[in-house]
Amino acid sequence: MNAALLAERLRVPICIALVLGSWQVIFALGVVPEKYFPSIPTIAVAFWQMLTDGTVISAWATTFLRALIGLVGAAVLGIALAILSDLSPVLSRGIRYVSDVLQPIPPAAFVPMAVFMLGLGTKLYAFVIILVTVWPPYLNGVAALAGVGPVQLNTGRMFGLSNWGLLWRVKLPAALPEIFTGIRYAATISLIAVIVSEMLAGRDGIGFMIFKKAFALRTPEVFGLMFLVAINGVLLNGLVNLLRRRLTGWHIGMMERPE
Amino acid sequence: MTRERRIALLGLLVPLGIIVLWQAAAMMQKTPLFPGPGKVVVALWTNYPVILKELGITLLRAAIGFAVAVVTMIPLGIFLGRVRAVGKVLEPLMDMLATLPPPAIIPLVMLFAGTGDGAKIVIIAYAAAVPLLMNTYEASHSIHPMLSKVAKSLHLSRFETMRLIDWPSSLPMIVTGARLAIASSLLVSVTSEMLLSTNGIGTYLQRSQETFKIDAGLAGIAFISLAGILVNAGVFRLEKKWLFWHYRDQRPAE
Repeated sequence: MNAALLAERLRVPICIALVLGSWQVIFALGVVPEKYFPSIPTIAVAFWQMLTDGTVISAWATTFLRALIGLVGAAVLGIALAILSDLSPVLSRGIRYVSDVLQPIPPAAFVPMAVFMLGLGTKLYAFVIILVTVWPPYLNGVAALAGVGPVQLNTGRMFGLSNWGLLWRVKLPAALPEIFTGIRYAATISLIAVIVSEMLAGRDGIGFMIFKKAFALRTPEVFGLMFLVAINGVLLNGLVNLLRRRLTGWHIGMMERPE
Repeated sequence: MTRERRIALLGLLVPLGIIVLWQAAAMMQKTPLFPGPGKVVVALWTNYPVILKELGITLLRAAIGFAVAVVTMIPLGIFLGRVRAVGKVLEPLMDMLATLPPPAIIPLVMLFAGTGDGAKIVIIAYAAAVPLLMNTYEASHSIHPMLSKVAKSLHLSRFETMRLIDWPSSLPMIVTGARLAIASSLLVSVTSEMLLSTNGIGTYLQRSQETFKIDAGLAGIAFISLAGILVNAGVFRLEKKWLFWHYRDQRPAE
């Protein structure tokens, strides 16, 4: 049992060691030209230099902030649309038509069309990110609000709640865990959307920076920036999880209770 | 039934309302850079042969990339799920790759493989690989212990167990991964064309912007949406056909 626990703890370090080790072996064998496949120390040094000269920090902050603003906007709008859908079957059907049409469109496709109207600033990013990330919270919200059990609803009615009270105090809290699943998925999409938009808009942010470095054949920097992008994903996910714990802690407690 | 139909018809008012608002806004702006729906429909009609041709290229590349991912990642996922030691050690790596947005690897692949068909197919295959690998891995290491016992008590051979027990029981989850992978490969296919422009619908969109033909670009987007809807509907039907037993057992509990 103790050995198993130790193995469980060592899993992540072993994995990292394995990846770094095989990376260095491939590098040492020289199968791929060094220009395209730099060694780990080279990447680390390049990454450190980018960090210390400050450009990366500001680009990173820009990108992260955009993703965050877009995600918050999408979550709020998604929940609002879900509530509207819950109020009226006609509205629900209508919004569903719109979502069916807009959902399959990749974020990249919106960028060139929207640039002229919205410029290259925050408006463009907010528009593109919200347009592609609003659907998971909305769809999960609709399903969850419709799935609130009759026992819960009747209990609420028994306490004399009005329709609004019922929505606010019973249905929405009951639906929140599922909505958060949607928001978590939306976080992933919002990062994709922000990186792609930055690559296409070509002015600032990490997405733009990766392309700039790639065109300049600065491979170590490209790898370093990709690492940073992955970190962004971890951070945003962590933030969503934190909020989920704050807001739906009761639910998580129920799920993790030993049977 | 009539109530259903009435709701479906009345619901159409929402998209119609949006279209009317859009037309009104476009008429007030009076600039070709913000075309209304009327102009887009005209552009749709005049440009559809080109759009369809470019869209075909895009879809073909997406399909090839997806196929490459299916052929490589499903066996790999089963292997990792079955050989627990290797799977456990590599799990953090998979989690890390899953958080990296697929388009972020486009510049890197460009360095290695240029901007041709090969490079794009690699990018698409990578994008499709992540959900496929994760789901196959999850499915094949979480087979219900009861099922393994059933196999043992029926004295099934190793191969029979794989064919009759392991495969069907992990199929629903693999299919879910495949559905995510299809959406992802369509998305990345268009994106890669916009960044590494050679041909395809993504390049068409880029060109439309560069020549200020926003209406033609929006017509292109409409076709992308249509293609996505059709592909999704097709996948849904196949799922219903192959996995009817899974959905039959999953009737809502209430």
